[in-house]
Amino acid sequence: MSVNPRKRKVVTRPAPEPSDSEGELADGLLEGILSHSEDEAADDSDADASSVIEGLSDEEQGDDDEDSDEEHIREEMQNLNTSDSSLRETKGISTHDMDMGTGADGDLDEDEHLKPNYTVTTDAHGNTRYLYREIDPVYDSDDSDVEATNTIGNIDLKYYDEYPHIGYDINGKKIMRPAKGEALDALLDSIDIPKGWTGLTDPQTGKPLNLSEEELDVLKRLTRNEVVEDGYDPYPDMVAYFSGKQEVMPLSAAPEPKRRFVPSKHESKRVMKIVKAIREGRIQPYRPPGEQDEEQDAFNFDVWADEKPRPDNTMHIPAPKLPPPGYEASYHPPPEYLPDKAEEQAWLDADEEDREKEFLPKNYDALRKVPGYETFVKERFERSLDLYLAPRIRRNRLNIDPESLLPKLPNPEDLKPFPTTCAALFRGQEGRVRCVSIDPQGIFVASGGDDGYIRIWELLTGRQVWNAKLSDEEAVDAVQWRPTKDASIVAAAAGEHVYLIVPFTLLSPDVEQASREVLDAGWGYAASKPSTTTNGEAPKQAPGKWSRPGTLLENKGVLVQIEVRSAVKIVNWHRRGDYFATVSPRGQSTAVAIHTVSKHLTQLPFRRLKGIAQTAQFHPSKAIFFVATRNTIRSYDLAKQELVKILQPGAKWISSIDVHPGGDNLIVGTYDKRLLWHDLDLSNKPYKTLRFHKEAIRAVRFHPAGLPLFADASDDGSLQIFHGNVVGDLMQNATIVPLKVLRGHKINSRLGVMHLDWHPREPWCVSAGADGTLRLWC
Amino acid sequence: MAGRSQKKGTSGAVRNYITRTRAVKKLQISLPDFRRLCIFKGIYPREPRNKKKVSKGSTAATTFYYTKDIQYLLHEPLLAKFREHKAVAKKIGRALGRGESGDAARLEKTLMPTIRLDHIIKERYPTFVDALRDLDDALSMLFLFAHLPSSQHMPAKTIALCQRLTREFEHYVITSHALRKSFLSIKGIYYQATVQGQDILWLVPYRFVQRTGGDIDFRIMGTFVEFYTTLLGFVNYRLYTSLGLVYPPKFNAQSDAQGGELAAFQLQAKANATDGETNGHREHPPINPDAQAIADRVGAMPDVDVDGDGDGDGEKDATAVAAIPAEDDQDEPTDEIDKFEPTAPDADVLPQPQASSAEVASLFAPFTMYLSRETPRASLEFILKAFGCKRVGWDGILGDGAFTTNESDPAITHQIIDRPALSNRAPAQDVAETESGDAAAPTVQWPYSTMPGRTYVQPQWVWDCINQSKLLPPHLYAPGAELPPHLSPWVKPSKGEYDPNLPLEAQQPDGEAEAFEDDGDEEDAAFHADRGEDMHAIVDREGSVEVGEGMHVADDDEDEEDEDVDDSDDANAVPAAEEFDGFDSDAESDVSEGEAARRQHQRELEAEATGKKLEIAKPTKKEQNAAIRKKFDKKRREEEEERERQKMMLSNKKRKLLKRIEYGENKRDTESEQLRRKRARLEKARAAAEAV
Repeated sequence: MSVNPRKRKVVTRPAPEPSDSEGELADGLLEGILSHSEDEAADDSDADASSVIEGLSDEEQGDDDEDSDEEHIREEMQNLNTSDSSLRETKGISTHDMDMGTGADGDLDEDEHLKPNYTVTTDAHGNTRYLYREIDPVYDSDDSDVEATNTIGNIDLKYYDEYPHIGYDINGKKIMRPAKGEALDALLDSIDIPKGWTGLTDPQTGKPLNLSEEELDVLKRLTRNEVVEDGYDPYPDMVAYFSGKQEVMPLSAAPEPKRRFVPSKHESKRVMKIVKAIREGRIQPYRPPGEQDEEQDAFNFDVWADEKPRPDNTMHIPAPKLPPPGYEASYHPPPEYLPDKAEEQAWLDADEEDREKEFLPKNYDALRKVPGYETFVKERFERSLDLYLAPRIRRNRLNIDPESLLPKLPNPEDLKPFPTTCAALFRGQEGRVRCVSIDPQGIFVASGGDDGYIRIWELLTGRQVWNAKLSDEEAVDAVQWRPTKDASIVAAAAGEHVYLIVPFTLLSPDVEQASREVLDAGWGYAASKPSTTTNGEAPKQAPGKWSRPGTLLENKGVLVQIEVRSAVKIVNWHRRGDYFATVSPRGQSTAVAIHTVSKHLTQLPFRRLKGIAQTAQFHPSKAIFFVATRNTIRSYDLAKQELVKILQPGAKWISSIDVHPGGDNLIVGTYDKRLLWHDLDLSNKPYKTLRFHKEAIRAVRFHPAGLPLFADASDDGSLQIFHGNVVGDLMQNATIVPLKVLRGHKINSRLGVMHLDWHPREPWCVSAGADGTLRLWC
Repeated sequence: MAGRSQKKGTSGAVRNYITRTRAVKKLQISLPDFRRLCIFKGIYPREPRNKKKVSKGSTAATTFYYTKDIQYLLHEPLLAKFREHKAVAKKIGRALGRGESGDAARLEKTLMPTIRLDHIIKERYPTFVDALRDLDDALSMLFLFAHLPSSQHMPAKTIALCQRLTREFEHYVITSHALRKSFLSIKGIYYQATVQGQDILWLVPYRFVQRTGGDIDFRIMGTFVEFYTTLLGFVNYRLYTSLGLVYPPKFNAQSDAQGGELAAFQLQAKANATDGETNGHREHPPINPDAQAIADRVGAMPDVDVDGDGDGDGEKDATAVAAIPAEDDQDEPTDEIDKFEPTAPDADVLPQPQASSAEVASLFAPFTMYLSRETPRASLEFILKAFGCKRVGWDGILGDGAFTTNESDPAITHQIIDRPALSNRAPAQDVAETESGDAAAPTVQWPYSTMPGRTYVQPQWVWDCINQSKLLPPHLYAPGAELPPHLSPWVKPSKGEYDPNLPLEAQQPDGEAEAFEDDGDEEDAAFHADRGEDMHAIVDREGSVEVGEGMHVADDDEDEEDEDVDDSDDANAVPAAEEFDGFDSDAESDVSEGEAARRQHQRELEAEATGKKLEIAKPTKKEQNAAIRKKFDKKRREEEEERERQKMMLSNKKRKLLKRIEYGENKRDTESEQLRRKRARLEKARAAAEAV
């Protein structure tokens, strides 16, 4: 620590610096040699100072070094005091660079980090010289355990034979030659040691303890664990005290016993035993087991000498044999068995497990070109694994002729007539056609669609003969001709309005007259005979408001307009044509309404309906009314005003129903793609469930005039025609035979065929498609 | 009175099955020993019908065995041997641990139990026929190991045993003429022999170094080999004794060392052997094996003149046939099967064996074969000898035991060659002549020169001959010729499947040919580049193809003509029908056909009125095709529709069953259709090439 005050003394000398720098700047020569800046100069001066300190603090260096260091200091002191011209010399001499940042400020420190680790100076000969700064062993690097090795480099020591040093350290200081052993030895030789000197002190006398040769020998033996006594032999020769040597005088005079002269009976017994065993072959002379004869003997008898067939065990399943190779396994197969490029690539790309064949067929035009099969051993190994590891299962091969499974259906020729082809296409509707109906005469077809028009077409030609726009924004959802032939009336529903239409331009005058009379009969009925309910609860709103639709429509033939409370989706006439039922699924209690044409009266038969009504229909002969909700179909006796039956088709959402003209059977179409046939006499569950459509069924319809046909229309764009024969005999169930799938309607935004209707007499039907067309199938 | 509640897993299916772990524990052996035991005893795992019931509710993958199977194993003598073995192994291990290798060797020599499997053979195969039935795998495995090098897992002794047993079996097949069929596949050579009514099929690899990858456990294979060698040994014993031969046959080690293979074994008739046996150990004077071999050969062929003047070839063959051993003497007319010919064409034809075994056995009997050195000698020797050829010679480098190694031997009638013909012969011939100048007899060196009267064939000729049980014309198999395709003899053509032997037209369903022809046109260009070479490979097999059989279409030309006319008009009618878009297509064709007929009629009327002759426009080929195809398409569609309709009425269960059946059928159909399509393409390409 004595260094610090000196150091401080040296470093703190701000006075001469400016002069130094000025001098440097002034001196052109210096500039040429050293391209150093002002700071550098300051550094150099600092460095000189530190080198001084180091030199002083270095304890290992010899006297010479110290001397030289002292000289340096002196010189430097002179330099500092003297003029600039001596600076060059200083540079040349100064060997150390500054690295202790004690006197420097922060800026200097930073600069130093950026600067290279050396400075360039000139040596005595004027050559450039790199002066490396000493590495600062900061706290995180500890080199105390580094061995002090020779730093003189790879130089033969003989060059230094006549010098006291053997080289220079990194700082250019001399490394002195170490002391040699010879000097020590010489010294030791010069000292005389008395005989028997041990260096110990006799505790009794207090004099130095000297030991004689004998005493030393004893001590040596003791340390070696030997017997101290001289001449002791640890392994003396054995003396035979007792021996088999016969003495001249025996100890006993007894005569030799007889048994010593006769052969031993016991021994002979034992020998005879062995002899007997050898004779009998129980003991055989030892023979080294030869390997050759062992093998030869292995198969020297017939295992199946007395073979007996074992009865068959059902539990035993013999290993299946490998199938014989096919044509493709040949080394030269017919060319059609060779895979083409795509197949080959597919085979190569497939995972080994997924490949159908374990090899790729290949063609070699000569036998000599056939290479070895790569996976031969592997396949054999896998086969042996299969043999002992794979569970065996007896599989019954399906040896059934598929034709035998198919039921024998009646010949379609016998079931004719039924519609097979599209006979006419009705174009002109814009948007979807939602409903279609054929008039009871079988001449006209009425249809309604998204464009709000009701159109009437000639059935056979597909010509549009009449139309009327019922609504601007609502679609025409339902169209139904009145089923009687005396008058010709169409009921159509658009939104909340139901219209009764007489298309008089198409009718003969008498029919027109009759039709008008039917409709006009009810005018004023409500006024003249107010319903009984109005008496009690005066202001209650009527469920239906019958009115005239206005002259524009009236001129077209639309004669009556009925306004109900919610949008009507279904219109169905009673067979006599006096009533018709409308269904508007949105209106809860007003969903089902029955309208009486002769009285211009609308009634709501149900005060409250379970579920959402989907469709409703009159029984063809009895006073029974069917109402289908989403899941169930209820039949009500209208005369007795009571529930007759609840059918449960098991469907999720019923779309439409139709009652067989006989009245005992019912078909149900559902949005969950099923067509269900209910026999009302049998059960409340369906008799047959038919699932042939891929999409929802929108409409189902029996042929109205006794032909055993029914059809359904589905969103998959097809109609399916079935033969459904109902026999009067109660013991016999209905026979249902699928007949024909009629395709032709295009699917438009997932809607195919919206509705269909049968011709009243012929086996023809008309379908309404979402593609804006009607088709006549016959 | 509620019964006592039963503990779970004490009755029912659980008791019938035992897991592998439990089985091993019950038998108190290690797993590898259990594996060996299972392989020896032929015990295999079972799949319980209801896994959950058996494994007490767990569904983890487990191996189950029958409890009864394992119960029987408890009394297996092998089990005691295994335990003994384990004890000795422990002793040896101890001795080795002490460094007493002499002791260890002694223990191994004296105490190590030898495992004998004859009782298991008897147990697993109560009758000899049972053993024959299971010989397929055994032979394939042993033939493989006979061709493998010995290794750490496979001691040379085992390999030698495999070679010995397989060759002995081959000798039996040769002597009994049991070989029926053989097939050169890319895997190896398949052979089928019929022994005592049992068909035995085995596969022999081609003689190359087998690749034995890392995931092959040779310990398992070794166990199988151990069992199979025992099995085949006893089978061989039985087969040899049934022929009145001594088993084992005399083995000539020297000949074997020289590559004699089959020739290293000398079969002996029983009578001599029994004489010898009665005298105790027979003392054979040391014979020179070469001399013995020559003597045997001469003895076998009394009539062949070895000196080699080739004059009496025909006579020699005749005598050779006469000298064919006594097996062929059953010429009595009563034994043969009469040929049943159906009198009416509508009757079914029952399959009959074509050639008697004696006939087949002497297929190659009259010939003297010579195998060139590039041919697979072992398989050819085996096949030729099995089919009656007594004199098979080969190049000396192929090994010992040849009838002759002299290629120029005039006795040789057939030479089997697998070399390409030389393109430039003349200079080579000169060389051959200069070489042969110093030899006494001219050495015939194909292809430099050929021997007159000798037939040169490629090896495939032999295989095709035996598979068809008749001698095929050798010119198809001449050296360097394009070989006819080599077909597997085991494929039985079933209905609706593709059969390469038949002409394509005979097996195509109606209308398919036209369809192929059309789409062939489109792909033609691309196809030409791909398969230019392949089409050369097609050579019709003579005899099997009736060339005169015309196309089905060509047969009823007259009917066709009218229809064609209709259909050509039909094409015109199509645009007219266009306005009915979305028509059912059969409806369309109905309409258009009606329309066409009407037009045709109209035209005829017009022609009649004007007095001109109505000229019928000849339809082009393509139109014809289209018309025919359309017709058949329509028919097929109708059938499909009908089928669909029938399917609608099936119950769910039956529909699923039908679906499963149809899946397999459809797959087969598409496969064969694919093949037919390819062949149609190839045939077309070939026709085009021929036309050019």
